[in-house]
Amino acid sequence: MKTDCKNGVFTAIRMAAASHPLLTAGTLLCVAASVAASLLPPLLLARVIDKLTAGLPLTFWAVVAYFGSLALEGGFSSAQESLLVLFGQKMTHALRSEMSRKLTRLPASTLAAQNPGEVAARFSGDVDTVEALFTSGIISMVADACRILSILAVIAVKNSGLAVILLLVLPLFAVFTRHVQKRMLAAQLDNRRAVAAVSGQVPETLHNIRTIRALGLEDYMERRYDRCIGAGYAAMERTNFYDALYSPVVLVLNAVVVGIVMLLSASGNPTVLTFFGMSVGTSVAVINYISRIFAPIESLGMEIQTIQSAMAGVERIDAFLGQPERTASAAQPSAGRGDVELSHVTFGYGEKEVLHDLSMTVKQGEQITLIGRTGAGKSTVFKLLLGLYPPQEGTVTIGGVPVAAITDRERRSCIGCVEQHFARVPGTVLEQITLGDPQITEEMAKRAAVLAGIDGAIQTLPQGYGTPCTDGMFSQGEWQLLSIARAVAADPAVLLLDEITANLDAETEARVLEALRRASAGRTVLSVSHRIYEDLGGRTVEIKTRTE
Amino acid sequence: MKPEKNFCPDRVLSYFRLEWLPLAFVTLSGLVYNIGLLATPWFEGRLAQCLADILGGSETAAKMAMLVPAYILVTLLVQAARFVKRFYVRRFANNIDRRMKGILYANLVRQSRAALEKEGAGELMTKAISDVDDCVEGMRKFTTEVFDTGVALVGYAVMLLVYDWRLALLSLLFTPVSYVCAAWMKKPVQRAGAAYKKAAGALSAATLDRAQNAVTYRIYGCEDARAEKYEDALNTYEKTAVRSNVWQSALPPLYLAASEAGVLFILWFGAKNVLGTGWSVWDIAAFTTFLSCFTKLVVKSSKAAKLFNAVQKAEVSWTRIKPLMKQPEQLAPLRIPEPADVTLENLSFAYGGEPVFTGLSLTARPGDIIGITGPVACGKSTLGRVFLCEAPYGGSARFGGTEFSALTPRQISATVGYLGHDPELSADTVQNNVLCGSEQEAEPYLAEAALDDEVRRMEQGLETVIGPGGTRLSGGQAQRLALARTLAHPRPVLVLDDPFSALDRNTEDIVFRNLQEYAKDKVVFLISHRLYHFPQMQQVIFMDGGKTTVGTHAELMAAEPVYRQLYESQTSQKGGGGA
Repeated sequence: MKTDCKNGVFTAIRMAAASHPLLTAGTLLCVAASVAASLLPPLLLARVIDKLTAGLPLTFWAVVAYFGSLALEGGFSSAQESLLVLFGQKMTHALRSEMSRKLTRLPASTLAAQNPGEVAARFSGDVDTVEALFTSGIISMVADACRILSILAVIAVKNSGLAVILLLVLPLFAVFTRHVQKRMLAAQLDNRRAVAAVSGQVPETLHNIRTIRALGLEDYMERRYDRCIGAGYAAMERTNFYDALYSPVVLVLNAVVVGIVMLLSASGNPTVLTFFGMSVGTSVAVINYISRIFAPIESLGMEIQTIQSAMAGVERIDAFLGQPERTASAAQPSAGRGDVELSHVTFGYGEKEVLHDLSMTVKQGEQITLIGRTGAGKSTVFKLLLGLYPPQEGTVTIGGVPVAAITDRERRSCIGCVEQHFARVPGTVLEQITLGDPQITEEMAKRAAVLAGIDGAIQTLPQGYGTPCTDGMFSQGEWQLLSIARAVAADPAVLLLDEITANLDAETEARVLEALRRASAGRTVLSVSHRIYEDLGGRTVEIKTRTE
Repeated sequence: MKPEKNFCPDRVLSYFRLEWLPLAFVTLSGLVYNIGLLATPWFEGRLAQCLADILGGSETAAKMAMLVPAYILVTLLVQAARFVKRFYVRRFANNIDRRMKGILYANLVRQSRAALEKEGAGELMTKAISDVDDCVEGMRKFTTEVFDTGVALVGYAVMLLVYDWRLALLSLLFTPVSYVCAAWMKKPVQRAGAAYKKAAGALSAATLDRAQNAVTYRIYGCEDARAEKYEDALNTYEKTAVRSNVWQSALPPLYLAASEAGVLFILWFGAKNVLGTGWSVWDIAAFTTFLSCFTKLVVKSSKAAKLFNAVQKAEVSWTRIKPLMKQPEQLAPLRIPEPADVTLENLSFAYGGEPVFTGLSLTARPGDIIGITGPVACGKSTLGRVFLCEAPYGGSARFGGTEFSALTPRQISATVGYLGHDPELSADTVQNNVLCGSEQEAEPYLAEAALDDEVRRMEQGLETVIGPGGTRLSGGQAQRLALARTLAHPRPVLVLDDPFSALDRNTEDIVFRNLQEYAKDKVVFLISHRLYHFPQMQQVIFMDGGKTTVGTHAELMAAEPVYRQLYESQTSQKGGGGA
């Protein structure tokens, strides 16, 4: 296993295991004990039967011991399950924490480029498969291998001939098992693909309903949906076939092995009997053991599969953890306050250059509007000012401090931004404003809400600021006001105003503009909004497209 | 799926009735299998007894030679029955699943967009469709377990009673005890499960939040605070997950051990039976058969709880689905009407109480292309959707002599071809996206939308799959594909909402020329913010601030300074691309 990479899955897990040594040791011990306990009952039963065959009465203790062995097996298996759960949870927790820390260390360009759903899938599904890799993969595999070996050992002692037969049969059986499981996996993948297509069609239909209705495609869509389900079932029927076939084969094989052993041990031939001879009690125990040896082989196959599919998850998480990180800025002696200055800035995304040798200065307290055609790079200027991207050439400073050097802690009091779309975060209304930032007190948040003119609307909510946020709770314009409150909560010296894209009616728009005017007072303001310019006035700065 | 007589989609029994054939197979093979199951312990006992007899000298190996093939043969037979049973149970479940989903889906596609947007109706439908899986799973388990648990349990119990009824009753005393324990523990188990589910939901919300709003948090420098919050969610999740999973996985082995306490009696009194001092006279075969029968019964009965859970879950799902399981209404065939004039008289539309536009009057003849334009958010798209009658309008809009609002939704589908600015493509091939099941060639329509060359150059041509929502196409390609689809479903009235916004000027010219040719017998309403082609249109509707002005391009140039300004700003810049 590749444990050499610096911050991969296995390092995280090793650290998790090392920080809970008792749990790790306890889990392993319990697994071993549960394997051992499962061997006991047939042995004790064999004794009981032999005694009875000989016509001897049972002692009270023999009876209790047999039941005790059953209870012990149950107890250990229960403890094993519990510890495995605990172990797995500790591990996934450690892994997820590590990934969350990684997210903080990624550069903004990576954050902006990633698909949130995919990242979330790394965090949830992939981490779960890694957990499965350990709990129901590696650990169970070891346990099952031990179980098979120990049963074989006991059988070898009790009936060496049977052990030889099993050694011949089991590899064949294992091959058969793997074959069936591989076929099943292929069919399952087909099925899963089909299921994804089926479940994808429902949201698609919801989205496309206007077209479907307008063109009268109802029948066609129904047929298509049914066809999709049908394709899934064709694949599922294949799994069903193997599934339905497997267990019967196991049980028939079981019967055949039992039959052969019984025949041979009853043969009366002395040479055969040196290998196959056994007492009646042993025969009962042997029948019992044979039925116990097939189950772990079946699980072994499943575990191999779990491990295989989990390795893909491990790779994806490793890729996530291996992404290059941003350089964290050290604390600055002075917070960035003062003039906003771009000096000879050149910047582009990939090949395409957006800004070329741009220089501009906005004096402290000045309010300006950036103008220029779509795509000229107005919002790019914002991104540079927010320190999301470093300029390729030139410097971007606020009060002489390069924006990249502003620490996360100071950033919010330095520069605020009213974003184009309000990004609603889970939590209460208050948290929409604070974003969970401990530096923003409730007092500050409320002041910001008053400034943004949304305080009244919040007060009318059932739990005021503590009301959990839901989609339809505010109108478009009110969300916009909340966005303003969020931007000014930390009383930033510089305020960036992005274009308002929401479709607002005239009255609401007036409210928003009014709020922006209040929010802008006493701050350095850069805006790209035409509407705001009409309202606020001030200087305009043109950003020219870099075309000849 | 065609509905049948006497079929009530909201009655579970109806589904069982429809699947009588697989059910018959299941019943037959289920009985054979479960009765046959009793043979295994019986044979195992016989085998041990036979060995004892041979070792004791009272029998010869010949008897074993007879017994073993019989044992293997019976096992084979029983397992074959099991194979048949399992196979048909799944098929039965699949058929029902397919039928239920089909009915739900049919109801879904018959809903209007407005209805689906209301109160999360769409979400409800999506949930219901996923509920079907749970529900059918329950039905399948129920059908399976009726035999595997019900019949088998009865069989084993009867067998035990036959061997020694007193001992059977005594040893089975503990099985109910474990049931009682399970029932007693159910509350905390469920509570832990609910807490776990809640924490899992919170965690996935927190995860998505971390990923989705990462840039926002970066801007505000609150990533550490969010990471802490995430850590809180992780802690809660871990705690509840451990509790719930431990309850769930640690208890069953204990219950099993509790029910197995019956072996205490079996060993004690069974031994007496064998030795001839008990209630019945047993040989070794009877002893081992009894014991192995008992063990199988206990294992089976420990799984009975699962059956109840599945059935319960199915019931919960079913109550959620049931109100939606209506017989989908039969759709009348689409009868495309003959071309006719479209007359608007003092047409207006209001959203809630807010008027969007008022006082629109015009008459358009087949062959006319009417341009609609105005500044952003002037109500252009709303005007386009008036023809779909999703909400009532004011004034009058007639097709021929009939008011649009008097048409049935199906008649509107046959009259108005509508293309919104969202292309609304499906994750299917290019061909299927254009034709949508209609039997004709796709190429001519692709050619009209100036997309044929590009499609030919695609790796699989018409069979290229375009990804969910057409994500594998560029914006312009998606737009033209959607246009080709609209053209492939000809209607006398065509409403196109900004179909050229992502096209370059050249392509737009070609497509517009093709459209003029195509629409010789149709009335076209073309909503656009690009005005190059407006001089070629018969009439133009200019909308601004709720006011509508109708005229030819020349008239509007003279009368509406804003229109004039829009037009001139677009035509003066050479080769200017849009957004």
